[in-house]
Amino acid sequence: MDILSLLWDGFAVAALPINLVLIVAGCFAGTLIGALPGLGPVNGVAILIPLTFAFGLDATSSMILLSAVYYGCMYGGRISAILLNIPGDEPAIMTTLDGYPMARKGQAADALAISGVASFIGATLATIGLTLFAPMLAKAAIYFGPADYFALYVMAFATIGGISGSDPRKTLLAALLGLMLGTVGLDPSTGVARYTFGSFNLYDGFDPIVALVGLFALSEILFFLEEKAHGGGLVPPGRVFPRLTRVKEGIGASLRGSVIGFIAGILPGAGASLGAVMSYSFEKRLSDKGTFGDGDPRGVAAPEAGNNAASGGALIPMLTLGVPGSGTTAVMLAMLISLNIQPGPLLFERSPDLVWGLVAALYLANFVLLILNLPLIGLFTRVLGLPAWGLMPLVVAISYLGVYAITHAAFDLLVMVGFGILGFVLRKLDFSLVPVVLGLLLGMDMENNLRRALSISGGDFTILLQSPIANVIYLLTAGFLVLSLWLSRRGSAIPSRLETPGD
Amino acid sequence: MSDRLSGLFFFLLAAGYVWLSAGYTAGFGDPLGPAIFPRVIGIPAVILGLSLLIWPRHDAVWAGRAGLLRQAAAITILLGYALLLEPFGFVPATFSAILGLGLLMGAPPLRGLLMAALAAPGLYLLFDRLMGLPLPLIGSWFG
Amino acid sequence: MILKLSGLRAAGLGAAMLFAVPAMAAECIAPADPGGGWDFTCREVGRLLSAEGLVEGNVQVTNMPGGVGAVAFANVAGKRADDGDLLVATSTVGITQIAQGKYPGGVDQMRWLAMLGADVGVIAVAKDSDIQTLDDLLGRLKADPTSVVTSGSSGAGGWDHIRLLLLAEAGGVEALEQIRWVQFDGGSPAVTQMMGGQVGLVSTDLGEIKGFVESGDIRVLAVLSDEPISAFPDLPTAKSQGYEVTGYNWRGFYTGGGVSDDDYNAWVEKLKTLYDSAAWQETARASGLEPIWRGGDEFNDYVAEQNEQMANISREIGVIQ
Repeated sequence: MDILSLLWDGFAVAALPINLVLIVAGCFAGTLIGALPGLGPVNGVAILIPLTFAFGLDATSSMILLSAVYYGCMYGGRISAILLNIPGDEPAIMTTLDGYPMARKGQAADALAISGVASFIGATLATIGLTLFAPMLAKAAIYFGPADYFALYVMAFATIGGISGSDPRKTLLAALLGLMLGTVGLDPSTGVARYTFGSFNLYDGFDPIVALVGLFALSEILFFLEEKAHGGGLVPPGRVFPRLTRVKEGIGASLRGSVIGFIAGILPGAGASLGAVMSYSFEKRLSDKGTFGDGDPRGVAAPEAGNNAASGGALIPMLTLGVPGSGTTAVMLAMLISLNIQPGPLLFERSPDLVWGLVAALYLANFVLLILNLPLIGLFTRVLGLPAWGLMPLVVAISYLGVYAITHAAFDLLVMVGFGILGFVLRKLDFSLVPVVLGLLLGMDMENNLRRALSISGGDFTILLQSPIANVIYLLTAGFLVLSLWLSRRGSAIPSRLETPGD
Repeated sequence: MSDRLSGLFFFLLAAGYVWLSAGYTAGFGDPLGPAIFPRVIGIPAVILGLSLLIWPRHDAVWAGRAGLLRQAAAITILLGYALLLEPFGFVPATFSAILGLGLLMGAPPLRGLLMAALAAPGLYLLFDRLMGLPLPLIGSWFG
Repeated sequence: MILKLSGLRAAGLGAAMLFAVPAMAAECIAPADPGGGWDFTCREVGRLLSAEGLVEGNVQVTNMPGGVGAVAFANVAGKRADDGDLLVATSTVGITQIAQGKYPGGVDQMRWLAMLGADVGVIAVAKDSDIQTLDDLLGRLKADPTSVVTSGSSGAGGWDHIRLLLLAEAGGVEALEQIRWVQFDGGSPAVTQMMGGQVGLVSTDLGEIKGFVESGDIRVLAVLSDEPISAFPDLPTAKSQGYEVTGYNWRGFYTGGGVSDDDYNAWVEKLKTLYDSAAWQETARASGLEPIWRGGDEFNDYVAEQNEQMANISREIGVIQ
């Protein structure tokens, strides 16, 4: 078949020694960058661009390196989410919900193995999807208009209601707080500055990474200091080697999460965070018997498969249309241009070596990441054995550095401390932090798409219900809510535990 | 009690948020305008805040005096680190912050000192040298 | 550097060895996140400056996003006004912001070094659109300003929008404020939404959507340049169709207002050498830029004049009061 022979040629490119070295190095660097709080895939990729110039790499090798880093970051973000309750990057927030409770029960190794395998499944399925259907899927994705994206965000918020917390009012308030924080800054449609109080530093709003690190990492320190210091670690390291039986428990959830994440990834306006959210809430509704939020392996597998599949999916609009599906792919596109490769609809025809070499490299990168990550589980769980007085200050310093090195604004660090205090107080008051971050991450796109839809219609709200795609999404949302109501009536209405250690 | 307070806080925050939205107008080229979405999310928050104020459900237990003091000290260190990173430069500021937080979290003094002394230059090397992210080595006060 | 090293000596000779820093490198601030046009300007020019041996070592690229360049502007004005090693990337978009009072200061606060090239505005429709020509488009908008939904990568009142309105004005459209405008996060997302039938027209920089022009997915009604552009000589200019409108988006640099004449002139000279190099001419064309040079005092005057013009246009069409 045509695709197979192209892919075969691609493997010939990817298997060049230089490219193999780049894949391994990129996977390793990506895992590290992803695991460090405050440094995400966008920064990771941006950091490496000068390096590709310095080594004089050609376009294909550069793309291979950057994609390996991108995939690596998605694997790495889960590590600190599970071990420290600090998501290494935005898409990993959903992994804290069940990953950290597993670590607290001494099952850190299991959680890492489950999420590692889930990441592998998600990323590999997405790469297969990319190989087989890329041009077709890209054609379908362009029919997704602003009204449809808006419906998608409505769905995301309608389904996070039951994610966590004992009082649904608080979950909702937390999400609304996130949405409110998300409106701070210049309004993209009109350039009006909202809630900036005259400060230019607030013109771009709150950087999600800054909020994330503050809310999760800094509040953790304040929690720790409640009790007199005991010189021990944060959570028990538990067993060092994962159990295969636990890993198997996550397979089904991984497959389901991969599909949802992949779809979110293909849509340029959605992305990995949305993929992880949807995968998690879907899995929770489907499988929860009161164990989600308390360290359920499926709650770890679904969002990890989801966000990795989404990153693979995001490469589809990037390669077939030249449309960045995320901040990271935007950086990769910029680099392609500077290497004299014009991204766009003709990329597959004009640069088959690059496209298929990259696709082949992604398959290899997935295996490398799996092989790299599984043996390291023992090492990572040992991190938990370190005393908190050593680990946490180091995490703070790394977060400060990560944030400062990218934005060069001490102001952002102050904002981060503010978010730390906010996160601590909210957790004390029994509010879940995840909806806050989701509101902040997704709120702006939700508003933008609503505004775009209404700009198209000249202010006529019926446009929101005119698109068949949007109507299907609304129907799915309604069905989902009815299903979950029915499932909870059926007797599994045990209130889920909070994910915070402070209660 | 704490639920009532948080309800009051959210009520005031959201009310202020909705009130401020009235000032955001753009007569040009945008039918919805910058003020509607904030109201759509602000008004439910006002109502939910009020409901929490009237029907509280949860009561938080705060740390004792010593715990609160430790937390205040940690916040001071975190703020100081943010403010002094540029004037002090990265290595001295990081050294002090790691040492301060470490001691606060119960580090044995000598090991805490060793940790800070190793970590500060180590992180500088990792970020500035290895990753090529520019950091101020020594701040403007020493420069 | 010597001062800094003496500061280090106090911290211990061992540390000094560890941190022995190479000669102070030049720095380019990209007032945006990685991936955008300003980031590209910094990275490309930085790369070529060091490849051509015009600066020692690498040019350090610093991303300082915020407020469409306002944060970087405020930072340079406040902290680094006299830093002679500093370049800040900017473009027509930045001048539009300044002219509309969205930066903490005016153009006179900075020293404008040079522009090295310009992207050209285009007005495009999908290949299966009913609209065949610019006359056709403007006729429809004149009859009913809401009949075509327009879009681009800037918000309402931004440069993509203003360019389109200038053209509409030249075409005799009166109710400019009724034209529907949709903002997308870049030229290529706007084009794909147009291909999906969500909007009817895209006004943006040619460089951003070059790939779609080459693939034939879109029909370019007009490029907003004086002469047909070298990479696509067949695309009609608005001028050739009788509408006296141009809309360039130049790419260039400023530096702090307190930079000495020596440092300023040295930068202008380096950038000129770079501009004349074959490497830049090739890079610029590959990324859809027309190489155009304006440097030093000439550029300073040009920026002041453009700032004036942009403020007038913005007032005229009602973006600012």
